Amino acid sequence: MKKNRMLIDMPADLAVRIEDLSITYKINVDTKKTLKNAIMRASKGEKVRMRTVEAVKHMNLDIPHGSVLGIVGANGAGKSTLMRSIAGILPPTEGRITVNGKISTLLALGVGFNPALSGRDNIILGGLASGLTKEEIAAKTDEIARFADLPDGFIDMPVRTYSSGMYGRVAFAVAVAMTPDILLLDEALSAGDAAFKEKSFLRMRELVQEARTIVIVSHALQTVKDLCTHAIWMHKGQILAKGDAGEITEKYLEFLNVGTLPSNLEDF
Amino acid sequence: MAHLRLMSEKKSEPASGASHVNDLGHVKEATPSLIQVFEPHKASLPPVGAYMREFWSRKRFSLELARFADKAEYLESNLGKVWLVLNPLLLAFVYFLLVTVLRGGSDKAHGFTTLAHILIGLFTFYFAQNVISDGAQSITSGGRLILNQAFPRTLLPLSSAIRSFWQYIPTIPVYIVVVVIGKFFIPKADIHIFSWALLWIPYVTFCLALTAFGMALIFATMNVYFRDTSKLLSYTTRIWLYASPVLWLPEMLHGWHRAILYVNPLGPALSATAEIWIRGHQPTLAQIIGLAVWAVIAMIFGGYFFISRERDFAVRI
Repeated sequence: MKKNRMLIDMPADLAVRIEDLSITYKINVDTKKTLKNAIMRASKGEKVRMRTVEAVKHMNLDIPHGSVLGIVGANGAGKSTLMRSIAGILPPTEGRITVNGKISTLLALGVGFNPALSGRDNIILGGLASGLTKEEIAAKTDEIARFADLPDGFIDMPVRTYSSGMYGRVAFAVAVAMTPDILLLDEALSAGDAAFKEKSFLRMRELVQEARTIVIVSHALQTVKDLCTHAIWMHKGQILAKGDAGEITEKYLEFLNVGTLPSNLEDF
Repeated sequence: MAHLRLMSEKKSEPASGASHVNDLGHVKEATPSLIQVFEPHKASLPPVGAYMREFWSRKRFSLELARFADKAEYLESNLGKVWLVLNPLLLAFVYFLLVTVLRGGSDKAHGFTTLAHILIGLFTFYFAQNVISDGAQSITSGGRLILNQAFPRTLLPLSSAIRSFWQYIPTIPVYIVVVVIGKFFIPKADIHIFSWALLWIPYVTFCLALTAFGMALIFATMNVYFRDTSKLLSYTTRIWLYASPVLWLPEMLHGWHRAILYVNPLGPALSATAEIWIRGHQPTLAQIIGLAVWAVIAMIFGGYFFISRERDFAVRI
């Protein structure tokens, strides 16, 4: 969905503006999600059991260009849902998200990967899905293979022959090769060894130098601390705390160790 | 809740080409010009115009996805795509034996006409069946793409439809070869393969493809909610085949029974196909209207059913 920027009140230095964002959805909590089960239930006059999930509640947030934002929080805090919403994958239930720039995402590992096809074919497929032309992505394929540290010739081998590390490295390499304005990463930095992690960090710092924006969801607090300029702590769909990445990760770590929220945040 | 600003509390002007100093002390130009706004859908539907533009601009993705899926499927098969033609040919032969045995045999000319009818009927039916059954699984099997990328999800069943069309194309020359050879040995066979009526084939195929695509959208959505839909579909399509004018001729139905030909969404297409390829006649007015009506109904209903539930796909896969 694209709109003329003149019609939108979006400061030019912002990469993402989130206004009063709420995201809810319904999930089927039946153990058997089958038509047969639904018909059996209907024959007994029962409905399929549904639960409404309030994943994000009335959130406001501005993310300027050139920042690296870390998002921390427990499972079910709404971090991944928020990332999908910023990427346009899951539209809001209420509120608005305005994004200024091209987004590249790595929210599910092994994006577009068909194990029977070669790495090259899969890279083309992943690139096309993210909106690049075939020619654009084909020109970047060798660069992606180099960045992902694939051994010689592996780029033309079926992906099913790749190790899990290679698989993750290629996915990351594809995401950063798109030269995005905004890069969204959800637990994507766990792929690869220490050397690749260092390489990934360097690449991300380069992106930031070019005024590109990165949003990272990670349970690896050290990664957030090392890489992010700022962080938010999400809890039950709301921003519990925001600020300097080191400060936020410390607070969150304390919560993880003690198991109770800081006294000034108990209202959440 | 107060509006949070991460880098600075200073208000910025809504103008392009602004710059700011980052933590590392570099002055950066904020130049991106692609503004995207994500808002709640109205009546469960995204803005239709924007959706269609996005759909059209990403059509190459559908084509390539179809090409790669094709490549992956036949990569390690020796006979490869030959099975695409062999399978319906063998099935046609089995059904031909079944039908002629049940009828107690028939003369050569009539028998060959029956075989030709079954052959073109099966090829056409399998085209529609593949669009529907492959399309039905396209969303559940496209999990990672759906969880990672924002694009119109209709592109996935479209890709299945494109692939099914590519698989259908080679079956037409096979039919022509079989009939030409058969006519050479059995000149009395009542088949008029080359006629002006062939000009109707693009219309019939287009309407059939739209009908099948619309139904694929319905079943693809159902399969997200109920994962046994695709299993059920395999039985449904088998019954559908028996209820379609493939193993029997439309002329066998009289009176109100002829309604079956039009209640069945594939009925007008299959009747028209036989009319063109066997008798060399152009489709009847009822068939021409029936084709268009089913295509419109399937696309409107299927399109609405699918697009209005697209948002759910990201949380239900």
